[in-house]
Amino acid sequence: MTTALRDLIRNPNAAELELVARYGMLSEDARRERAFEAFAKGGLPHRRVEGWRWSDIKAALPVIETPPTITQTDIRVTDGALVFTFTPTGFTWPDTLPEGIRMLAKPEAQAFGASEDLPLGALAAALSGGGKKPATLMFEVTGTDLPRVHFRFSGAGEANFARIQFVLRPGAELDVSESYLGGAGFTACLVEYSLQEGARLSRTVCQGGGDAEVLAATASVQLDAAADYTQTTLAFGAKLARLETRLTHQGSGAKATLNAAYLCAAGRHADITTEVRHGATACTTRQLTKGAVLDGGRGVYQGKFFVPRNVGQQTDADMQHNALLLEEGAEVFAKPELEIYADDVECAHGNTSGALDANQLFYMRQRGISEAEARALLTEAFIAEALETAGDLEDVLREEARGWLAR
Amino acid sequence: MNSPCGGSNLPQGVSLARSPAYIRPMLKIDNLSATVGEGEEAKLIIKGLTLDVPAGEVHVIMGPNGAGKSTLSYVLTGREGYEVTGGSATLNGEDILGMEPEERAAKGLFLSFQYPVEIPGVPVMTFVRTAMNSQRKLRGEDEISAPDFIKKSREIAKQLKLDAEMLKRPVNVGFSGGEKKRLEIYQMMMLEPKFLILDETDSGLDIDALKTVAEGVNAMRAPDRGMLVITHYQRLLDHIKPDRVHVMAAGRIVTSGGPELATRLEAEGYDGVLGEAV
Repeated sequence: MTTALRDLIRNPNAAELELVARYGMLSEDARRERAFEAFAKGGLPHRRVEGWRWSDIKAALPVIETPPTITQTDIRVTDGALVFTFTPTGFTWPDTLPEGIRMLAKPEAQAFGASEDLPLGALAAALSGGGKKPATLMFEVTGTDLPRVHFRFSGAGEANFARIQFVLRPGAELDVSESYLGGAGFTACLVEYSLQEGARLSRTVCQGGGDAEVLAATASVQLDAAADYTQTTLAFGAKLARLETRLTHQGSGAKATLNAAYLCAAGRHADITTEVRHGATACTTRQLTKGAVLDGGRGVYQGKFFVPRNVGQQTDADMQHNALLLEEGAEVFAKPELEIYADDVECAHGNTSGALDANQLFYMRQRGISEAEARALLTEAFIAEALETAGDLEDVLREEARGWLAR
Repeated sequence: MNSPCGGSNLPQGVSLARSPAYIRPMLKIDNLSATVGEGEEAKLIIKGLTLDVPAGEVHVIMGPNGAGKSTLSYVLTGREGYEVTGGSATLNGEDILGMEPEERAAKGLFLSFQYPVEIPGVPVMTFVRTAMNSQRKLRGEDEISAPDFIKKSREIAKQLKLDAEMLKRPVNVGFSGGEKKRLEIYQMMMLEPKFLILDETDSGLDIDALKTVAEGVNAMRAPDRGMLVITHYQRLLDHIKPDRVHVMAAGRIVTSGGPELATRLEAEGYDGVLGEAV
């Protein structure tokens, strides 16, 4: 079995062989097997695969090893938040859960079907679990006035894999946050959110960690009729950090907001990739991505809206990506795509990149603000709009961004 | 340091009749030349300009389009792309041309922009407080406390008839021409600079806004503060009375005089006055 899978991966590198070995050590399970097969068909994605041309995971991850130790400080979340922590070898969870949210023993949501075009999502599904870690951490949410659920991915080690599923029953409401603090050489996780009719979920992602690490956080989101999903991401990149979201509108009148900001220093690579399928009528998508990159940093934005012929009518979708190249030598790659087959839709997209405005910089310096501070203020102002959707975590994300800008 | 009056070079018992400020001007520009643009594109715009403005005085520079008036204001404040090729400029005896723009600001140099710049996402209060504290830091002073800042801001906003809501909005974004100019005066009064350069502060203002702005500028007049007012038209001078008027053409000061020179310019035009000066 393991040998057959190893043969599936062409020219495997040491990291891929290690992944095969890890799979071989886990208990047998049909879902796990399907997921690993899906991953193994292509192995670690590389630049010759469309969708990964600017984010070559295979090159960034020749071996899986424990990176240099880093300081890990989590973002400040509200008191009373339900905190779950995944480390390379362990898992911690709150003692009790309030009424309105419970853990399920058996997978219910089939949001993720081990699709081959989400190879790192499939890999996370295949390798999560083992020891104290759950193969899939599953939640059913029925309440509305619930404390925030916070996931922390941290701790030193070679690799950290996790799979999380949420089913929000009709009318349920929840705020979720995910904090990627680094520490593992390779982190891959898959988070699936299924929102039933009229449910509301706000997801906030903050990605930090060390610059020797590779991270792939894949989210798969399904929205039933009139569901309302808001996602706000702040990414600082890593050796390579890919934050990918696959969202499907499958009930009419659903609403999705997908905002992100990335800030990349030298040696950091942040990839924000999203694909939204308007598979039901009269659904709305708003997407705003802002980025700022320093010399030696790389930002990648790939956004796609897919609107099928019949079911996608009355789609209202807008996609904007604006990047600041703060210094010579900064790199930003962007691919906004609209694929529309329905005729009664409103779809727009915009994509810009440029430097800070010399007039604004001089005006601020003339008032006595140092060049470094002026640049920091202007950059913070530039990305701030993308963080406005984070609710009570907006200020927290702004502080994180400010900390980066003040370095 | 030599004392301006009765310095060591003067015989005992002899003092100069003129004010000390005249001996030691606050802003002293000597034979200044400067280019605009980079490399081969660089064009000589300021051509050997000499000008002294003592503390306590308001001097006006008038001149036709293309004379180099705005260029002079940018050269003095250190804008990128403006290169000094000769001469000197000092503020209170200190060479300012080698300083970064923010250092000049901390030394007390303030430019009121002809076209104030919009800064989306940065509220006015944040902007001005950051500027004030940056200047204080450069001067080795303590930061202003939040209550003191707010109190000062309220008083000045009231004086300038500025809506408090406006100060919470991003700098100049969505402001009318008059509001932008009033915000320049607000910043000036908050930062209390030693030397002001007002570049075409009257442009784009209706008569009421012009009066408010002029009142703000007049309120800033002080014995230890100098001002250089750059303007195209005499109309601003109905509200701000200058001590001296200089006419600038082709990159230098071609003639200077008292306030009556501005009136003559209005009557005879630049051609009339310049024809006789050149």
